[in-house]
Amino acid sequence: MTVLVPITYKGGVYRHDIVIDLIDDLGGYIVQKHMIAQEVVLQSLVPKDDIELIRAISRPLAGVVTEAPLVGTEIAVLSPSLEIHHLPHTSCDVAEYLRSAGAKTNMIGLARGFGKRIANLNLEERDIINEHDCVVFMLGNFETCIEYKMPALRRGITVPIILSGRPSTEALQRIIDPPVAGYVGGIGRVGHRMKRQEGEIDRLDALVQEVSRVLSQKREEVAKDPLSVNPARLMTVLDDAMDITSRSTHPTPITVQIRGLRVKLPYDSYAHAIAAIEIENGVRIGDITHILPSRMRDYILIQIRPFSETKIIV
Amino acid sequence: MRGLEYFEVECVEPVGRETYAQIADDILSDLNLNQSIGRLHIFIDPEVPLFLAVGVIKQMPGLVYIRDFASALGKETGVVLDIGTERYLSPMLSILWDKYGRDLITQPDRFTVNILIPGLDPREIEDLMVVDPSEGMYHDIIYALQWIAPEGFKVRRQTIGEGQFSYVASENTLDKEKIDVLLREKFALVGVSA
Repeated sequence: MTVLVPITYKGGVYRHDIVIDLIDDLGGYIVQKHMIAQEVVLQSLVPKDDIELIRAISRPLAGVVTEAPLVGTEIAVLSPSLEIHHLPHTSCDVAEYLRSAGAKTNMIGLARGFGKRIANLNLEERDIINEHDCVVFMLGNFETCIEYKMPALRRGITVPIILSGRPSTEALQRIIDPPVAGYVGGIGRVGHRMKRQEGEIDRLDALVQEVSRVLSQKREEVAKDPLSVNPARLMTVLDDAMDITSRSTHPTPITVQIRGLRVKLPYDSYAHAIAAIEIENGVRIGDITHILPSRMRDYILIQIRPFSETKIIV
Repeated sequence: MRGLEYFEVECVEPVGRETYAQIADDILSDLNLNQSIGRLHIFIDPEVPLFLAVGVIKQMPGLVYIRDFASALGKETGVVLDIGTERYLSPMLSILWDKYGRDLITQPDRFTVNILIPGLDPREIEDLMVVDPSEGMYHDIIYALQWIAPEGFKVRRQTIGEGQFSYVASENTLDKEKIDVLLREKFALVGVSA
Protein backbone atom coordinates (compact mmCIF):
# COMPACT_ATOMS: atom_id res chain seq x y z
CA MET A 1 0.00 0.00 0.00
CA THR A 2 1.42 3.40 -0.95
CA VAL A 3 2.25 5.75 1.89
CA LEU A 4 0.45 9.04 1.54
CA VAL A 5 2.11 12.13 3.00
CA PRO A 6 0.46 15.47 3.61
CA ILE A 7 1.67 18.44 1.56
CA THR A 8 0.63 21.99 0.81
CA TYR A 9 0.95 23.35 -2.72
CA LYS A 10 1.01 27.12 -3.11
CA GLY A 11 1.09 28.68 -6.54
CA GLY A 12 -0.63 30.92 -9.04
CA VAL A 13 -4.05 30.31 -10.51
CA TYR A 14 -2.56 30.05 -14.00
CA ARG A 15 -2.53 26.39 -15.12
CA HIS A 16 -2.91 25.05 -11.62
CA ASP A 17 -5.27 22.43 -13.05
CA ILE A 18 -2.12 20.64 -14.26
CA VAL A 19 -1.10 20.11 -10.64
CA ILE A 20 -4.61 19.00 -9.67
CA ASP A 21 -4.64 16.44 -12.49
CA LEU A 22 -1.15 15.28 -11.58
CA ILE A 23 -2.06 14.65 -7.93
CA ASP A 24 -5.15 12.80 -9.10
CA ASP A 25 -3.17 10.65 -11.58
CA LEU A 26 -0.57 9.78 -8.96
CA GLY A 27 -3.31 8.43 -6.70
CA GLY A 28 -3.23 11.34 -4.27
CA TYR A 29 -6.17 13.26 -2.85
CA ILE A 30 -6.89 16.96 -2.63
CA VAL A 31 -8.36 17.54 0.78
CA GLN A 32 -8.91 21.25 0.50
CA LYS A 33 -8.56 23.85 -2.24
CA HIS A 34 -8.38 27.57 -1.52
CA MET A 35 -8.50 30.22 -4.21
CA ILE A 36 -7.39 33.52 -2.75
CA ALA A 37 -7.25 36.26 -5.40
CA GLN A 38 -4.46 35.12 -7.75
CA GLU A 39 -3.22 32.38 -5.46
CA VAL A 40 -4.18 28.74 -5.12
CA VAL A 41 -3.48 26.68 -2.02
CA LEU A 42 -3.99 22.93 -2.23
CA GLN A 43 -3.90 20.82 0.90
CA SER A 44 -3.27 17.32 -0.38
CA LEU A 45 -2.22 13.81 0.48
CA VAL A 46 0.19 12.41 -2.11
CA PRO A 47 2.35 9.27 -2.47
CA LYS A 48 5.66 9.81 -0.68
CA ASP A 49 7.81 8.83 -3.66
CA ASP A 50 6.17 11.33 -6.00
CA ILE A 51 6.76 14.56 -4.08
CA GLU A 52 9.85 15.33 -6.16
CA LEU A 53 7.87 14.80 -9.37
CA ILE A 54 5.21 17.26 -8.22
CA ARG A 55 7.96 19.73 -7.29
CA ALA A 56 9.56 19.35 -10.72
CA ILE A 57 6.31 19.84 -12.60
CA SER A 58 5.18 22.79 -10.50
CA ARG A 59 8.52 24.63 -10.73
CA PRO A 60 7.80 26.29 -14.12
CA LEU A 61 4.43 27.41 -12.69
CA ALA A 62 6.22 29.04 -9.72
CA GLY A 63 4.46 26.65 -7.36
CA VAL A 64 5.92 25.71 -4.00
CA VAL A 65 5.43 22.32 -2.39
CA THR A 66 5.92 22.10 1.36
CA GLU A 67 5.26 19.32 3.82
CA ALA A 68 2.28 20.17 6.00
CA PRO A 69 2.06 17.68 8.86
CA LEU A 70 -1.52 18.48 9.84
CA VAL A 71 -3.31 18.08 6.49
CA GLY A 72 -6.31 15.79 6.85
CA THR A 73 -6.94 16.55 10.51
CA GLU A 74 -9.64 18.52 12.26
CA ILE A 75 -8.52 20.20 15.46
CA ALA A 76 -10.59 21.93 18.13
CA VAL A 77 -9.02 25.09 19.54
CA LEU A 78 -10.62 25.63 22.90
CA SER A 79 -10.83 29.13 24.31
CA PRO A 80 -12.27 29.71 27.80
CA SER A 81 -14.77 32.16 26.27
CA LEU A 82 -15.31 34.37 23.26
CA GLU A 83 -14.86 37.59 25.26
CA ILE A 84 -12.30 40.30 24.54
CA HIS A 85 -10.02 38.79 27.23
CA HIS A 86 -9.26 35.73 25.14
CA LEU A 87 -9.98 36.86 21.62
CA PRO A 88 -8.67 37.74 19.15
CA HIS A 89 -5.04 37.50 20.05
CA THR A 90 -3.88 34.15 21.37
CA SER A 91 -6.78 32.00 20.17
CA CYS A 92 -6.82 33.37 16.63
CA ASP A 93 -3.03 33.29 16.37
CA VAL A 94 -3.00 29.65 17.38
CA ALA A 95 -5.90 28.71 15.10
CA GLU A 96 -4.31 30.52 12.18
CA TYR A 97 -0.93 28.94 12.78
CA LEU A 98 -2.40 25.44 12.91
CA ARG A 99 -4.23 26.16 9.66
CA SER A 100 -0.99 27.21 8.01
CA ALA A 101 0.32 23.74 8.90
CA GLY A 102 -2.65 22.27 7.01
CA ALA A 103 -5.15 21.52 9.78
CA LYS A 104 -8.81 22.41 9.73
CA THR A 105 -9.36 24.17 13.03
CA ASN A 106 -12.63 24.93 14.75
CA MET A 107 -12.52 27.45 17.54
CA ILE A 108 -14.73 26.53 20.46
CA GLY A 109 -15.49 29.31 22.92
CA LEU A 110 -16.87 27.77 26.07
CA ALA A 111 -19.98 29.23 27.64
CA ARG A 112 -18.44 29.11 31.13
CA GLY A 113 -14.80 28.19 30.71
CA PHE A 114 -13.40 31.33 32.35
CA GLY A 115 -12.49 31.93 35.97
CA LYS A 116 -11.02 29.44 38.42
CA ARG A 117 -13.68 27.87 40.63
CA ILE A 118 -16.56 28.64 38.25
CA ALA A 119 -15.02 27.10 35.11
CA ASN A 120 -16.91 24.20 33.59
CA LEU A 121 -17.71 22.38 30.39
CA ASN A 122 -21.24 21.57 29.28
CA LEU A 123 -22.37 18.41 27.54
CA GLU A 124 -22.78 19.95 24.12
CA GLU A 125 -19.26 21.39 24.26
CA ARG A 126 -17.88 18.04 25.40
CA ASP A 127 -19.60 16.17 22.56
CA ILE A 128 -18.45 18.66 19.93
CA ILE A 129 -14.85 18.44 21.17
CA ASN A 130 -15.02 14.64 21.04
CA GLU A 131 -15.89 14.82 17.34
CA HIS A 132 -12.41 16.21 16.57
CA ASP A 133 -9.04 14.50 16.16
CA CYS A 134 -7.56 16.37 19.10
CA VAL A 135 -8.19 19.47 21.16
CA VAL A 136 -5.83 22.32 22.04
CA PHE A 137 -6.71 23.82 25.43
CA MET A 138 -5.75 27.47 25.52
CA LEU A 139 -5.52 28.28 29.19
CA GLY A 140 -4.15 31.31 31.00
CA ASN A 141 -1.22 32.67 32.92
CA PHE A 142 -1.41 31.22 36.42
CA GLU A 143 -0.31 27.74 37.43
CA THR A 144 -2.71 27.74 40.38
CA CYS A 145 -5.71 28.40 38.13
CA ILE A 146 -4.75 25.90 35.45
CA GLU A 147 -4.21 23.19 38.05
CA TYR A 148 -7.54 23.95 39.71
CA LYS A 149 -9.78 24.23 36.65
CA MET A 150 -8.29 21.54 34.41
CA PRO A 151 -10.20 18.59 35.98
CA ALA A 152 -13.50 20.40 35.33
CA LEU A 153 -12.62 21.26 31.74
CA ARG A 154 -11.30 17.84 30.73
CA ARG A 155 -14.18 15.81 32.17
CA GLY A 156 -15.53 13.38 29.56
CA ILE A 157 -13.12 14.34 26.81
CA THR A 158 -11.90 11.24 25.00
CA VAL A 159 -9.73 12.78 22.27
CA PRO A 160 -6.07 13.65 22.95
CA ILE A 161 -5.66 16.96 24.79
CA ILE A 162 -2.78 19.34 24.10
CA LEU A 163 -2.56 21.83 26.93
CA SER A 164 -1.11 25.28 26.36
CA GLY A 165 -0.68 27.97 28.97
CA ARG A 166 1.72 30.70 29.99
CA PRO A 167 3.69 28.68 32.61
CA SER A 168 6.62 26.69 31.23
CA THR A 169 6.09 23.28 29.64
CA GLU A 170 7.76 21.63 32.65
CA ALA A 171 5.45 23.46 35.07
CA LEU A 172 2.39 22.32 33.10
CA GLN A 173 3.65 18.74 33.10
CA ARG A 174 4.16 18.95 36.85
CA ILE A 175 0.70 20.25 37.75
CA ILE A 176 -1.52 18.14 35.49
CA ASP A 177 -2.56 14.80 36.89
CA PRO A 178 -3.41 12.44 35.22
CA PRO A 179 -1.19 13.53 32.33
CA VAL A 180 -2.61 14.74 29.02
CA ALA A 181 -1.25 13.93 25.55
CA GLY A 182 0.81 17.09 25.00
CA TYR A 183 2.01 20.26 26.71
CA VAL A 184 3.18 23.58 25.28
CA GLY A 185 4.20 26.28 27.72
CA GLY A 186 4.68 29.96 27.01
CA ILE A 187 1.37 30.55 25.21
CA GLY A 188 -1.01 32.30 27.56
CA ARG A 189 -3.31 35.25 27.54
CA VAL A 190 -1.71 38.29 25.88
CA GLY A 191 -3.01 41.68 24.81
CA HIS A 192 -1.28 41.89 21.47
CA ARG A 193 -0.72 39.84 18.33
CA MET A 194 1.96 37.20 18.65
CA LYS A 195 4.59 38.33 16.18
CA ARG A 196 7.89 38.45 18.06
CA GLN A 197 10.12 35.62 16.92
CA GLU A 198 11.44 34.78 20.35
CA GLY A 199 8.89 33.70 22.92
CA GLU A 200 5.92 34.00 20.56
CA ILE A 201 6.38 32.62 17.02
CA ASP A 202 8.77 29.94 18.29
CA ARG A 203 6.14 28.89 20.84
CA LEU A 204 3.58 28.54 18.03
CA ASP A 205 6.09 26.41 16.12
CA ALA A 206 6.49 24.28 19.23
CA LEU A 207 2.72 23.91 19.40
CA VAL A 208 2.51 22.72 15.78
CA GLN A 209 5.28 20.21 16.53
CA GLU A 210 3.55 18.96 19.64
CA VAL A 211 0.19 18.62 17.86
CA SER A 212 1.85 16.72 14.99
CA ARG A 213 3.59 14.44 17.48
CA VAL A 214 0.31 13.63 19.22
CA LEU A 215 -1.53 13.10 15.94
CA SER A 216 1.24 10.88 14.54
CA GLN A 217 0.78 8.68 17.59
CA LYS A 218 -2.94 8.61 16.87
CA ARG A 219 -2.27 7.72 13.22
CA GLU A 220 0.02 4.89 14.34
CA GLU A 221 -2.71 3.58 16.62
CA VAL A 222 -5.16 3.63 13.71
CA ALA A 223 -2.62 1.90 11.43
CA LYS A 224 -2.49 -1.09 13.81
CA ASP A 225 -6.08 -1.85 12.86
CA PRO A 226 -6.41 -0.09 9.48
CA LEU A 227 -9.58 1.66 8.45
CA SER A 228 -11.76 0.01 5.83
CA VAL A 229 -11.23 2.98 3.54
CA ASN A 230 -8.87 5.94 3.58
CA PRO A 231 -10.82 9.03 4.73
CA ALA A 232 -9.42 11.12 1.86
CA ARG A 233 -10.57 8.49 -0.62
CA LEU A 234 -13.99 8.36 0.96
CA MET A 235 -14.17 12.13 0.60
CA THR A 236 -13.39 11.89 -3.12
CA VAL A 237 -15.95 9.12 -3.66
CA LEU A 238 -18.61 11.08 -1.79
CA ASP A 239 -17.84 14.30 -3.59
CA ASP A 240 -17.86 12.63 -7.01
CA ALA A 241 -21.21 11.05 -6.27
CA MET A 242 -22.99 14.01 -4.72
CA ASP A 243 -21.04 16.99 -6.07
CA ILE A 244 -20.96 18.60 -2.63
CA THR A 245 -17.90 20.86 -2.86
CA SER A 246 -18.94 22.76 -5.96
CA ARG A 247 -22.47 23.35 -4.66
CA SER A 248 -21.56 24.44 -1.16
CA THR A 249 -20.39 27.77 0.18
CA HIS A 250 -18.55 26.25 3.16
CA PRO A 251 -14.75 26.55 3.06
CA THR A 252 -14.50 22.82 3.70
CA PRO A 253 -17.88 21.22 2.90
CA ILE A 254 -16.34 17.80 3.55
CA THR A 255 -13.75 17.88 6.30
CA VAL A 256 -11.27 15.05 6.46
CA GLN A 257 -10.36 13.66 9.85
CA ILE A 258 -7.96 10.90 10.82
CA ARG A 259 -10.69 8.28 11.13
CA GLY A 260 -13.67 9.84 9.42
CA LEU A 261 -15.31 12.77 7.73
CA ARG A 262 -17.55 15.63 8.68
CA VAL A 263 -20.04 16.35 5.91
CA LYS A 264 -21.74 19.72 6.05
CA LEU A 265 -25.15 18.62 4.84
CA PRO A 266 -28.32 18.17 6.91
CA TYR A 267 -28.37 14.70 8.47
CA ASP A 268 -32.08 14.01 8.11
CA SER A 269 -32.21 14.67 4.40
CA TYR A 270 -28.92 13.17 3.27
CA ALA A 271 -27.78 10.38 5.63
CA HIS A 272 -29.64 7.64 3.75
CA ALA A 273 -28.45 8.84 0.36
CA ILE A 274 -24.84 8.86 1.57
CA ALA A 275 -25.10 5.35 3.05
CA ALA A 276 -26.29 4.02 -0.31
CA ILE A 277 -23.33 5.33 -2.35
CA GLU A 278 -21.18 2.56 -3.75
CA ILE A 279 -17.43 2.86 -3.25
CA GLU A 280 -16.18 -0.16 -5.19
CA ASN A 281 -17.30 -3.71 -6.07
CA GLY A 282 -20.66 -3.37 -4.41
CA VAL A 283 -19.30 -2.03 -1.11
CA ARG A 284 -21.46 0.85 0.02
CA ILE A 285 -20.49 3.67 2.36
CA GLY A 286 -23.07 2.47 4.87
CA ASP A 287 -21.43 -1.00 4.98
CA ILE A 288 -18.12 0.20 6.36
CA THR A 289 -18.99 3.35 8.31
CA HIS A 290 -21.18 4.65 11.09
CA ILE A 291 -23.13 7.63 9.77
CA LEU A 292 -24.09 9.76 12.75
CA PRO A 293 -25.70 13.12 13.35
CA SER A 294 -23.05 15.63 14.45
CA ARG A 295 -23.57 17.86 17.49
CA MET A 296 -22.24 20.69 15.34
CA ARG A 297 -25.33 22.24 13.68
CA ASP A 298 -27.17 19.54 11.70
CA TYR A 299 -24.07 18.14 10.02
CA ILE A 300 -23.25 14.52 9.36
CA LEU A 301 -20.36 12.74 11.02
CA ILE A 302 -19.01 9.67 9.25
CA GLN A 303 -16.89 7.33 11.36
CA ILE A 304 -15.03 4.75 9.30
CA ARG A 305 -15.04 1.32 10.88
CA PRO A 306 -11.75 -0.58 11.11
CA PHE A 307 -10.86 -3.69 9.12
CA SER A 308 -11.24 -5.90 12.21
CA GLU A 309 -14.96 -5.09 12.31
CA THR A 310 -15.85 -5.09 8.63
CA LYS A 311 -13.27 -7.50 7.12
CA ILE A 312 -13.31 -5.22 4.09
CA ILE A 313 -10.65 -2.87 2.74
CA VAL A 314 -11.43 -0.81 -0.34
CA MET B 1 5.43 51.06 31.21
CA ARG B 2 5.99 54.21 29.20
CA GLY B 3 4.34 57.34 30.50
CA LEU B 4 3.70 56.10 34.04
CA GLU B 5 5.71 57.38 37.01
CA TYR B 6 5.09 54.17 38.92
CA PHE B 7 3.84 50.85 37.68
CA GLU B 8 4.06 47.61 39.57
CA VAL B 9 2.34 44.23 39.36
CA GLU B 10 2.48 42.17 42.53
CA CYS B 11 1.87 38.44 42.32
CA VAL B 12 3.34 35.31 43.87
CA GLU B 13 3.79 33.69 40.48
CA PRO B 14 6.64 35.43 38.61
CA VAL B 15 5.45 34.28 35.17
CA GLY B 16 1.93 35.57 35.81
CA ARG B 17 3.30 38.87 37.12
CA GLU B 18 5.38 39.42 34.02
CA THR B 19 2.50 38.57 31.68
CA TYR B 20 0.00 40.75 33.48
CA ALA B 21 2.43 43.70 33.35
CA GLN B 22 2.56 43.17 29.59
CA ILE B 23 -1.24 42.84 29.29
CA ALA B 24 -1.80 46.04 31.32
CA ASP B 25 0.73 47.87 29.18
CA ASP B 26 -0.91 46.72 25.93
CA ILE B 27 -4.43 47.54 27.04
CA LEU B 28 -3.66 50.96 28.54
CA SER B 29 -1.76 51.93 25.40
CA ASP B 30 -4.60 50.67 23.20
CA LEU B 31 -7.04 52.88 25.07
CA ASN B 32 -4.61 55.85 25.19
CA LEU B 33 -4.76 55.86 28.97
CA ASN B 34 -1.03 55.66 29.72
CA GLN B 35 -0.81 59.44 29.45
CA SER B 36 -3.72 60.00 31.85
CA ILE B 37 -2.78 57.51 34.57
CA GLY B 38 0.19 58.58 36.69
CA ARG B 39 0.68 55.70 39.10
CA LEU B 40 -0.71 52.18 39.02
CA HIS B 41 -0.33 49.21 41.32
CA ILE B 42 -1.88 45.84 40.49
CA PHE B 43 -2.09 43.05 43.05
CA ILE B 44 -3.09 39.54 41.99
CA ASP B 45 -3.59 36.57 44.28
CA PRO B 46 -4.47 33.51 42.16
CA GLU B 47 -5.08 31.45 45.29
CA VAL B 48 -8.20 33.40 46.47
CA PRO B 49 -8.53 34.40 43.52
CA LEU B 50 -8.37 38.19 43.68
CA PHE B 51 -7.49 40.99 41.30
CA LEU B 52 -6.91 44.44 42.77
CA ALA B 53 -5.75 47.62 41.09
CA VAL B 54 -5.23 51.07 42.59
CA GLY B 55 -3.98 54.14 40.79
CA VAL B 56 -3.66 57.86 40.58
CA ILE B 57 -4.91 59.89 37.65
CA LYS B 58 -2.21 62.23 36.39
CA GLN B 59 -4.12 64.78 34.45
CA MET B 60 -7.80 65.32 34.01
CA PRO B 61 -8.70 66.44 30.52
CA GLY B 62 -10.28 69.90 30.47
CA LEU B 63 -13.88 70.74 29.57
CA VAL B 64 -14.56 71.34 25.89
CA TYR B 65 -16.33 74.58 24.92
CA ILE B 66 -17.65 75.59 21.51
CA ARG B 67 -14.82 78.14 21.21
CA ASP B 68 -12.30 75.29 21.31
CA PHE B 69 -13.34 73.91 17.97
CA ALA B 70 -15.49 76.59 16.27
CA SER B 71 -15.69 80.35 15.87
CA ALA B 72 -18.97 82.28 16.12
CA LEU B 73 -19.80 85.31 14.01
CA GLY B 74 -22.75 87.63 14.64
CA LYS B 75 -24.89 88.36 11.55
CA GLU B 76 -28.24 90.05 10.98
CA THR B 77 -30.01 86.69 10.81
CA GLY B 78 -28.34 85.30 13.89
CA VAL B 79 -25.04 83.58 14.67
CA VAL B 80 -22.95 81.64 12.14
CA LEU B 81 -20.64 78.97 13.54
CA ASP B 82 -17.56 78.07 11.52
CA ILE B 83 -16.55 74.57 12.59
CA GLY B 84 -12.82 73.82 12.80
CA THR B 85 -12.93 70.12 13.68
CA GLU B 86 -15.99 67.93 13.43
CA ARG B 87 -15.17 65.76 16.43
CA TYR B 88 -17.58 67.49 18.82
CA LEU B 89 -20.17 68.44 16.20
CA SER B 90 -22.70 65.84 17.22
CA PRO B 91 -22.88 66.71 20.95
CA MET B 92 -22.85 70.42 20.05
CA LEU B 93 -25.84 70.05 17.74
CA SER B 94 -27.75 68.15 20.42
CA ILE B 95 -27.13 70.94 22.92
CA LEU B 96 -28.11 73.68 20.46
CA TRP B 97 -31.26 71.80 19.45
CA ASP B 98 -32.28 71.42 23.08
CA LYS B 99 -31.56 75.07 23.83
CA TYR B 100 -32.98 76.83 20.76
CA GLY B 101 -35.16 74.25 18.99
CA ARG B 102 -34.43 72.22 15.90
CA ASP B 103 -36.13 74.58 13.44
CA LEU B 104 -33.80 77.47 14.36
CA ILE B 105 -30.60 75.51 13.76
CA THR B 106 -29.59 74.88 10.17
CA GLN B 107 -26.50 73.27 8.76
CA PRO B 108 -25.97 74.25 5.10
CA ASP B 109 -22.73 72.30 4.87
CA ARG B 110 -20.40 70.17 7.02
CA PHE B 111 -18.45 73.11 8.43
CA THR B 112 -21.21 75.68 8.94
CA VAL B 113 -24.00 75.82 11.50
CA ASN B 114 -26.49 78.73 11.63
CA ILE B 115 -28.48 79.72 14.68
CA LEU B 116 -31.34 81.76 13.28
CA ILE B 117 -32.00 84.07 16.25
CA PRO B 118 -31.32 87.75 15.46
CA GLY B 119 -29.41 89.67 18.13
CA LEU B 120 -27.86 86.61 19.77
CA ASP B 121 -24.44 87.26 21.32
CA PRO B 122 -21.77 85.17 19.53
CA ARG B 123 -19.53 85.18 22.68
CA GLU B 124 -22.31 83.62 24.69
CA ILE B 125 -22.53 80.80 22.15
CA GLU B 126 -18.77 80.24 22.15
CA ASP B 127 -18.82 79.86 25.93
CA LEU B 128 -21.26 76.95 25.88
CA MET B 129 -19.75 73.76 27.34
CA VAL B 130 -20.18 70.79 25.04
CA VAL B 131 -18.34 67.79 26.48
CA ASP B 132 -16.84 66.81 29.81
CA PRO B 133 -14.11 64.34 28.76
CA SER B 134 -13.48 63.22 32.33
CA GLU B 135 -16.78 61.32 32.28
CA GLY B 136 -15.56 59.36 29.29
CA MET B 137 -12.21 58.83 30.96
CA TYR B 138 -13.73 57.36 34.13
CA HIS B 139 -15.65 55.00 31.92
CA ASP B 140 -12.49 54.14 29.96
CA ILE B 141 -10.43 53.46 33.09
CA ILE B 142 -13.02 51.08 34.52
CA TYR B 143 -13.40 49.40 31.14
CA ALA B 144 -9.60 49.01 30.88
CA LEU B 145 -9.43 47.41 34.33
CA GLN B 146 -12.29 45.04 33.52
CA TRP B 147 -10.37 44.06 30.42
CA ILE B 148 -7.04 43.62 32.23
CA ALA B 149 -8.57 41.59 35.06
CA PRO B 150 -9.02 37.86 34.43
CA GLU B 151 -12.41 37.09 32.97
CA GLY B 152 -15.11 35.68 35.20
CA PHE B 153 -14.27 37.84 38.22
CA LYS B 154 -17.79 39.13 38.45
CA VAL B 155 -17.88 40.17 42.09
CA ARG B 156 -16.56 43.70 41.76
CA ARG B 157 -16.01 46.80 43.85
CA GLN B 158 -14.82 49.90 42.13
CA THR B 159 -14.30 53.54 43.06
CA ILE B 160 -13.20 56.43 40.92
CA GLY B 161 -12.97 60.16 41.45
CA GLU B 162 -10.83 62.89 43.01
CA GLY B 163 -7.78 61.91 41.07
CA GLN B 164 -7.66 58.27 42.16
CA PHE B 165 -9.32 54.97 41.41
CA SER B 166 -9.54 51.44 42.72
CA TYR B 167 -10.87 48.20 41.29
CA VAL B 168 -11.24 44.93 43.16
CA ALA B 169 -12.62 41.81 41.50
CA SER B 170 -13.00 38.17 42.40
CA GLU B 171 -15.24 35.22 41.63
CA ASN B 172 -15.82 34.73 45.36
CA THR B 173 -17.49 36.98 47.89
CA LEU B 174 -15.33 39.94 48.90
CA ASP B 175 -14.80 40.45 52.62
CA LYS B 176 -15.29 44.20 53.06
CA GLU B 177 -12.95 44.60 56.02
CA LYS B 178 -10.10 42.62 54.50
CA ILE B 179 -10.47 44.44 51.20
CA ASP B 180 -10.44 47.83 52.95
CA VAL B 181 -7.17 46.96 54.70
CA LEU B 182 -5.68 45.71 51.42
CA LEU B 183 -6.83 48.81 49.56
CA ARG B 184 -5.30 51.14 52.17
CA GLU B 185 -2.04 49.20 51.98
CA LYS B 186 -1.89 49.34 48.18
CA PHE B 187 -3.02 52.96 47.96
CA ALA B 188 -0.05 53.83 50.21
CA LEU B 189 2.24 52.31 47.58
CA VAL B 190 0.98 54.74 44.94
CA GLY B 191 1.35 57.65 47.35
CA VAL B 192 -2.26 58.04 48.56
CA SER B 193 -2.86 57.94 52.28
CA ALA B 194 -6.30 57.63 53.82
